[in-house]
Amino acid sequence: MVFVNKFARWTFFTAIILYVLIPMLAVLVYSFSTRWTSNILPDGYTLSHWGDSFRDERLRAALWRTLWMAGAVLIFDILLVVPAVYWQRVRNPRIRIFTELLAAIPFALPFIVIAFGILRIVGTSAPTVLFEIADVLPGFLGDRLVSIGNWLPTMLGTPWIILFGHAAIAFPFLYWAVDGSMAAANIGRLNEAAQMCGATPIQILRLVVLPNIGAGLAAGGMLVFATSFGEFALVQILAGARFENISLYSLDLLNNTTSQVEKLAVLTIVTFAILFAISIGVVYLNRGQGSRLLPGARAMGGEK
Amino acid sequence: MSGVSLNGISKHFGNVRALDDVSVEIASGELIALLGPSGCGKTTLLRSVAGLEQPTSGVIRIGGKDVSHEPPRKRPIGMVFQSYALFPNMTIRENVGFPLKVRKESSDKIRPKVEELLELVGLSSQADRYPHQVSGGQQQRGALARALAPSPEVLLLDEPLSALDALVRTRLRDEIRRIQQLVKITAIYVTHDQSEAMAIADRVAVMNHGKIEQIAEPPEIYEDPSTKFSAGFVGNRNAIELASTNGRVEFGGFVSCAAPSIGSQRVVLFFRPEDVEFMEDGSGHPAMVENKLFLGSLSRVYLLLESGGASVRLYADISSRQALRLQIGQIVNVKLQTEHARVFPVDAQ
Repeated sequence: MVFVNKFARWTFFTAIILYVLIPMLAVLVYSFSTRWTSNILPDGYTLSHWGDSFRDERLRAALWRTLWMAGAVLIFDILLVVPAVYWQRVRNPRIRIFTELLAAIPFALPFIVIAFGILRIVGTSAPTVLFEIADVLPGFLGDRLVSIGNWLPTMLGTPWIILFGHAAIAFPFLYWAVDGSMAAANIGRLNEAAQMCGATPIQILRLVVLPNIGAGLAAGGMLVFATSFGEFALVQILAGARFENISLYSLDLLNNTTSQVEKLAVLTIVTFAILFAISIGVVYLNRGQGSRLLPGARAMGGEK
Repeated sequence: MSGVSLNGISKHFGNVRALDDVSVEIASGELIALLGPSGCGKTTLLRSVAGLEQPTSGVIRIGGKDVSHEPPRKRPIGMVFQSYALFPNMTIRENVGFPLKVRKESSDKIRPKVEELLELVGLSSQADRYPHQVSGGQQQRGALARALAPSPEVLLLDEPLSALDALVRTRLRDEIRRIQQLVKITAIYVTHDQSEAMAIADRVAVMNHGKIEQIAEPPEIYEDPSTKFSAGFVGNRNAIELASTNGRVEFGGFVSCAAPSIGSQRVVLFFRPEDVEFMEDGSGHPAMVENKLFLGSLSRVYLLLESGGASVRLYADISSRQALRLQIGQIVNVKLQTEHARVFPVDAQ
């Protein structure tokens, strides 16, 4: 019985591992193969695809652009979400319904719909509304609205619109993770304790809240980074070739008649490696936090 | 000159009056216990003093200075929470130093102060552990040291011992009292445990329905409850309902006492189990032993008394040696020592 259980467990485990690993391995092997069309293994191996890829100025630029954008989105979302969730938990729980609704939108609507929505709003709807308000609001305020209305469409095609768009679609991952961490760490009570210790709200955020939600921040942050890193629809529709990221570049490789699939394999492995390295880093940074932050974590042994 | 003065404090949550016009003067260096059942407003009152709740009306003064509208961090107050609320990302030492750190004290000043406090609460050897690595009692000592670190004028303790087991609780209770007297700090201590309140406080304020029912020194609270609620809540009392006629309460030969201000109505007679006397000489009133409970040096004897068609049940505490001689079902004669008995109308608050 025990043997059967153990056998079943290992079989299942191995099957899962193979299911996950074989596609990755195939891509990896492909990136090193000279030709792989007729046999179960490639005809020969080479490093030239890797060399070519990294000599390709366009690929390097796309990779760099994607990386810094993902990093910027992550920082922007942390600055946006952490104070908001903190405020919601300790000061005004009533905004929860509003924030949760916002956090559901990116799951409820396809990114492509959101992308066209942003295009419409920034490109035409918002400026039109602003101009109409400006008509009845003459003077300095009206002028301001007109200049904002003129400025909004110019954001299209710039990294800014990508930054704000990605921040908007990726923030729910961080929101839920941070909210859960704050609940687990009993931030409400710690906040009161810190207030009684004389800490200002900024000090509380920096010294008490942030260090105690590390796990949620890391897990949610990782997802935010990955969302922006692999995002296609918003970049394609809002910026297109003016902001070629890894996804756009990959699509271009596929569409290319001289289709450089090997380069695509290299790119896939590089993307995977970057995200994998970040997850390892997250796990490493969070080691031991689980037990430390467990609610009611208690000691071994009583009071001596 | 750092007493606390609460004047007309009310707090409404919607239609609920959590605090109803509470006024108290707490002298400098005094420890006052707020005692009452859950929902009586004691924690709300404490949190109002802390600034964690904003009272609907009323004035809070500390050392004569009106702090009613100051945020918590600007009030000269240290607070200890039921759940310890130590910061889990800091060691005990860092926790104790936290209030000084956020006040931008230099580390030369912080270090000796933290050492002194750790010494005071007996945590020096555990100081570099994280909160989850020490026991609940030790966490609470750490929280006490942290609350005292900025040398506040007032210490607030919100059921600090409720989460601890019985043995640690009494020891830490005595320790809190010792430290409070040593540093001569004004303190407000919230508890629902009357023996804890009696043991630790200079004065006990019994609270009910958002009001202070009685405020007095522990012996007075215990011996001379001034309201029906404090009589029922404090001390271990029998409460029996009787009729009062012409200003007297009587039940056979068991009790006869005056209740002059009450007149003729149903009353509740409160008395303590140690005031029931077993009469050897045949005087008093016959009672049947229904049950007995061994409590150590004392035993609790449950009695049934009948008189004129009415019957009452009560319990008496007598020495266990005396109780050994009693059999269940046996008829004994009992009489009440009425000196500490209190009578209140049934419909009194």
